[in-house]
Amino acid sequence: MADAIMQSREAAAERLKRAPLVTNNRSMSWITNHVASCTEKPAPTWWWIAFTLSSSLALVSVFCIGYLISTGVGVWGLNHPVGWAWDITNFVFWIGIGHAGTLISAILFLTRQKWRTSINRAAEAMTLFAVVCAGIFPAVHVGRIWMVWFLAPVPNSNAIWQNFRSPLLWDVFAVSTYFTVSVLFWYTGLIPDLATLRDRATNKFRKFFYGIGALGWRGGNRQWKHYEMAYLILAGLSTPLVLSVHSVVSFDFATSVIPGWHTTIFPPYFVAGAIFGGFAMVLTIMLPARAIFGLHDMITDDHVDKMCKIILLTGSIVGYAYAMEFFIAWYGGNMYEQYAFINRATGPYWWAYWTMIFCNVVAPQLFWFRFFRRHVLSVFIVCMFVNTGMWFERFVIIVTSLHRDFLPSSWNMFYPTWVDIWTFVGTFGIFFALFLLFIRWLPMICIFEVKAVLPEADPHHGHDDQAHAPVGALKEVAH
Amino acid sequence: MKRVLTHPAREAKPTLWRSLDELSSSPDFAAKLEREFPQGASEWKGGELSRRNFLQLMGGSMALAGIGLTGCRRPEAYLVAFTQGAEWTIPGKFLYYATTMPRRNGAMPLIATTSDGRPTKLEGNPLHPMSNGATDTFAQASVLDLYDPNRAKTIKAEGVKTDAAALGAKLDEIAAAARGGAGLAFLVERVDSPTRDRLLGQLREKFPNLLWAEYEPLGTSETAAATAACFGGGINIRPDFSRADKVLAVDSDFLNASFSGLDQVRGFMARRRISEPGQAMNRLYVAETHYSSTGGLADHRLRLKPSEIAPLLRALGAQVAALTGHGDLAAVVAAFPESPLATDPQWIAECAKDLAASAGKSVIVVGDQQPAAVQALGLAINQALGAPGQTLRGMRTEAPPAATIGELAAAMQAGRVQNLFILGGNPVYNAPADLRFGELLSGVPVSVRLGFYEDETSAVCQWHVPQAHYLESWGDARSADGTIGAVQPMILPLWDGVAEVEILNRLAGNEEPIGPQLVRETFARMAGGGDLEAKWTEFLRQGFLPDTAWPEAPLAFKAGAAAALAAQYEPAGGGLDIEFMPSSTLDDGRYANNGWLQETPDFATKITWDNAALISPATAEVLGVASGDLVQLSAGDRSIEAAALIAPGQADGAVSIALGYGREKATPVAEKAGFNAYPLRTTRGMTHVSNAVLKRTGGEYKFAEAQTHQSMEGRDLVREATAERYAAEPTFARTMGMDGHIPPNISLFTHPPFTSPEQWGMTVDLSTCMGCNACVVACQAENNVPIVGKDQVSRGRNMAWIRMDRYFAGDENDPEMLSQAIMCQHCENAPCETVCPVNATVHSEDGLNLMAYNRCIGTRYCANNCPWKVRRFNFFDYNQRPLDQLYLGPFAKKGMADSLQMSKNPNVTVRMRGVMEKCTYCIQRIEEARITQTVRAGASDKLLVPFPAVKSACQQACPSESIVFGNIKDPKSRVAELKTEPRNYEMLKYLNVSPRTTYLARIKNPNMAMPGAEKVGRANGYGHHGEEAAPATEAQGT
Repeated sequence: MADAIMQSREAAAERLKRAPLVTNNRSMSWITNHVASCTEKPAPTWWWIAFTLSSSLALVSVFCIGYLISTGVGVWGLNHPVGWAWDITNFVFWIGIGHAGTLISAILFLTRQKWRTSINRAAEAMTLFAVVCAGIFPAVHVGRIWMVWFLAPVPNSNAIWQNFRSPLLWDVFAVSTYFTVSVLFWYTGLIPDLATLRDRATNKFRKFFYGIGALGWRGGNRQWKHYEMAYLILAGLSTPLVLSVHSVVSFDFATSVIPGWHTTIFPPYFVAGAIFGGFAMVLTIMLPARAIFGLHDMITDDHVDKMCKIILLTGSIVGYAYAMEFFIAWYGGNMYEQYAFINRATGPYWWAYWTMIFCNVVAPQLFWFRFFRRHVLSVFIVCMFVNTGMWFERFVIIVTSLHRDFLPSSWNMFYPTWVDIWTFVGTFGIFFALFLLFIRWLPMICIFEVKAVLPEADPHHGHDDQAHAPVGALKEVAH
Repeated sequence: MKRVLTHPAREAKPTLWRSLDELSSSPDFAAKLEREFPQGASEWKGGELSRRNFLQLMGGSMALAGIGLTGCRRPEAYLVAFTQGAEWTIPGKFLYYATTMPRRNGAMPLIATTSDGRPTKLEGNPLHPMSNGATDTFAQASVLDLYDPNRAKTIKAEGVKTDAAALGAKLDEIAAAARGGAGLAFLVERVDSPTRDRLLGQLREKFPNLLWAEYEPLGTSETAAATAACFGGGINIRPDFSRADKVLAVDSDFLNASFSGLDQVRGFMARRRISEPGQAMNRLYVAETHYSSTGGLADHRLRLKPSEIAPLLRALGAQVAALTGHGDLAAVVAAFPESPLATDPQWIAECAKDLAASAGKSVIVVGDQQPAAVQALGLAINQALGAPGQTLRGMRTEAPPAATIGELAAAMQAGRVQNLFILGGNPVYNAPADLRFGELLSGVPVSVRLGFYEDETSAVCQWHVPQAHYLESWGDARSADGTIGAVQPMILPLWDGVAEVEILNRLAGNEEPIGPQLVRETFARMAGGGDLEAKWTEFLRQGFLPDTAWPEAPLAFKAGAAAALAAQYEPAGGGLDIEFMPSSTLDDGRYANNGWLQETPDFATKITWDNAALISPATAEVLGVASGDLVQLSAGDRSIEAAALIAPGQADGAVSIALGYGREKATPVAEKAGFNAYPLRTTRGMTHVSNAVLKRTGGEYKFAEAQTHQSMEGRDLVREATAERYAAEPTFARTMGMDGHIPPNISLFTHPPFTSPEQWGMTVDLSTCMGCNACVVACQAENNVPIVGKDQVSRGRNMAWIRMDRYFAGDENDPEMLSQAIMCQHCENAPCETVCPVNATVHSEDGLNLMAYNRCIGTRYCANNCPWKVRRFNFFDYNQRPLDQLYLGPFAKKGMADSLQMSKNPNVTVRMRGVMEKCTYCIQRIEEARITQTVRAGASDKLLVPFPAVKSACQQACPSESIVFGNIKDPKSRVAELKTEPRNYEMLKYLNVSPRTTYLARIKNPNMAMPGAEKVGRANGYGHHGEEAAPATEAQGT
């Protein structure tokens, strides 16, 4: 009897045991070798092809921006009711994507989600590159880019200050802060791995440059102590930023008077949407990278599964927000609001609205099923839908609200020009070119953190029921 | 010793400083100046004389004194560059001179604003009896014509450049050869100019056999013929709407001042504008084919095919004859041939009843293009209604006889014309197609053309002489009431422009005139006795010669002649009618080269840079045509191609097409703009052709629409009610729709401190606004608003600071048309200001929403957050780059033509690309008034800008005085008065932006016995949110 109970308990314990974060019992040296070698081996042919394509695409964007600046904002399809369209759509799209990285690095770090270790580096890099792409648009969308320094609070002889009531100014501060903190956070996390690369360097150039980057890292106890405190502080600083940046971006719309923009639901709805879109983009990039570099042991199906669950959760929040917008428009009894939402669903841009609904609300419902969460192709396809859907979400919010606002006399349509399209397409070139450079020159997986989640890194040898390795334990496994 | 005023030889490069002001800048002139002033002129202040009047008088007298001197004493005159500073000019300070714009339907009295010798803006002359200080679209735009770099600039013989001496020699040669004048012919435009008439007299003396023909494509010759038959020759009639309770307009757009006159609009609006509930107002019936601005204001509008206009009048005449028992009318009606009429007889019966009930206080106006027979019928009805002497005034006129273009063509055909002078006009383009004028013209041995542009007619003539603009030449012209107006130049001819009278003068064998000599000689005859010098000075200062209006003439109806004329009416056949309508922006095509007018949206169709074949929705469905389809319109063996546009309110079974478009040989501005309808227009079908065929050709055409959505979508933007409802529920406008139940607005922001004693605000009276666009063009002229071209307009990038919104309400086929002028509303709690990140748009203490161009970086956030969408963004460098090269960026040509630079208002920044702009309430005028007041106040504390001292450009231009601007804090000001009217309402009140511009709801005065009366004045419906109009009994709900 007792045996049976014991047996069933053991069986239950066996079932409840967490799946290992690194599969196939990989050793520490295997991890170091595997990750570091991606930057050490000569660049494979596919890399050159991909890099050539994406950097060419980036040049298209550069050309379009040059044309825009030299000729005028009129080269885009904007007009009088629609003062913003693809420019700000792209800005919000990219800045949204830039949320996943910091969320994974900071919030999951603070909440001790150890599965984050194998994806955080690449996700953070992706964040930075997405913010780079995002930053292009508000900078170049203005009419007189040579005067954008007016946005900086520089004391001047005219004694004109910025307008601190303007959400656009908040944007400038929010995005630049976010970018700065994200760079610091990312770079701080890189230092021990840069030291690893330096130590493995076989030529003096690598030794020199990685040496500079490693800032003299020796892996001493005192260094680890400082490092961990710094990383913790940065994680703490980044966490509110994840929530604030997209909230501030949403204020661009929420504080306006335009029906369809003027709504208090925007901050949480935008943050959820950003995480939703960010995770989809992380998966969009990580799944091919995992296949190419054979990282299945570190980025396991469990990782993919967990990220799919986050997508499902945030997608549902977004879907709820869509529904709530309609409810409030009806419940508020304001005919202008009501029209704005009816127009979204049934007006001339109905196709954009329903594309958004399908991609963001319907497609992720597949992730209720474990099978689809673990079926790589399905995940990839759903993520592509989400990427598309999140772009359309911003397009729908911006363009459908502006093109038909209060006075029907000024209603008009927006049609993109080739410059609109290629500037946007070109930013994918910038994004992928930067990402390709990243995977070529920097360890795309955080070597020392992954090693810390191996069973052998656990000082309690699995007897610690809390299963939380203290942060301090990391230092033992750094080499 | 007399000295002759001579100008230095013209340099190749335009020298910008030469102007009239300089003519009189001799040092001894300053001393004479004092004498030239009326006694005490410099002490005038306050009272009736505003600062503006003062300045214009002063400016006028200064120039005139100098000019006047040249006329009599021929003093030594110097040309002084502005760089040396003429003594009485203050750089940057405007000088105002009175002048007159000659027009076919009566000259328009104007005040020209000149800055450093360049006229930049025109206003109406408030001293003139015909004017209320207003202007119209065409007068406002005419200043651009002066500076048009595409104007004809040199005299050309057979296409080769030549000079004035060669022209003079040629004219002398013609005059010498034309013994008795046989073979000498003139084709001129209709202008009532005493000097031209005097020179014509001289010519007729010298060449008794000359042929003098007048032609206007949209002239009044039919009206004149009908008037002559009904009331005798030498008589002009003019309705007096200020005495009319009931008006029926039949195919007449009399509320468009461009086609009637400012006095007509003012008279009508005086009876339309009501300030208190229950006040009596006039009633307007309109029967027309296309939506005119008059139709837009109508209380009852009947859509009618053009071929049914005559039968309608006949039916109405019969009813009126029966009601009044007027035998003469009955006789005219009986003589008038009958033709089919398919319309609601109740409409005619009730309308006739209403008109007859107000006999003596009602009037019928029939469109000038209608055949004389139809007009005679209209006059007969007016006679029966007791209009003559009451609502229809007669004037005894003296116009020299003129042949028609048909008679000229016949002479040309017969080879009786050897030397033809075509002075103005463009007959090859716009003469009736059956005359084949171009072909005849090429057969004339010698043809001399005086033209503003090298156009279709110039191409066929041997000589082309550039015509001087009225702002750069001397002349005179009578306004519609006969008052003689002075046409005085503001600037020397920019190019080699020659005035019409100069050519006539040379042919008459007179000496070359010096300055205003020709006009002065005429003036000497007109002015009567007394001190001629003083009278002349006064003439130029005031801009007109008082007491020269035509004498009142008694109107004795000649029933027999009227019946005989009426009997000549030839009923047109049935089928599809094609109506030729005047373009509201290009007139008969004469303004086709004016970019401002090309880009001004037609008030009804809202299309720019084009005309269209207007088709009613029902007819379009029958014909299977959609907007933008290219169609072939043919009648008999003539046909044209045009693009169809579905126009709500258009009569079924009739296509209307505006004249004046589709130019073949014109400047780059006019080319490719619209479709030429003249080839369908013949001598016998000047209003319309019947039995036409409309065929789709399969092509598509893209219009540049300034407004793409036609319905208010149930929003209470334009608010209207019937006079009855206004009396019963005076606050209807303030409680309409959401405004009836929104909670009181609470502001989270503190309002900016409105500390100034002046708080600027505006009202727009929708009861009297007929959407004529005068304000739109006036704003463009005042504020240096650029044009952007058709492509940019079609992309939704027009720059107009004030736009005329037009909505249709009700039945798609027979809707009401509502016009609403929208400009920056200067919200006290402006949403644009909070969102600008760089503080480029901020509020002033006097309540203006300011725009600092050089602080603006162009985020466009302000425009996005503007509920009125009045902010305009410079997507390209519209001022610096040619409009067809906008997309070439740095590879496009850069720079603005010299002459166009001269046309800019120096007090308003010309904006560069990448910045936002919008209506400023004419801040430059406010500041000018403030500076003037500060100077006047001296050490005293009377710094408050007095009430009438500042007018916005739109207000000043408005012929119906619908726009009123001023200090809302000053209880004496008109705007403060209007804001207390119950009709006054804010748009989008729930937003709590507190706009400074408010609207006065439109009041309609339907006759409840008329069919469809229950739908009049119900554009908003009576229920919440403009839902389906509830029955009137439930009206009190909101």
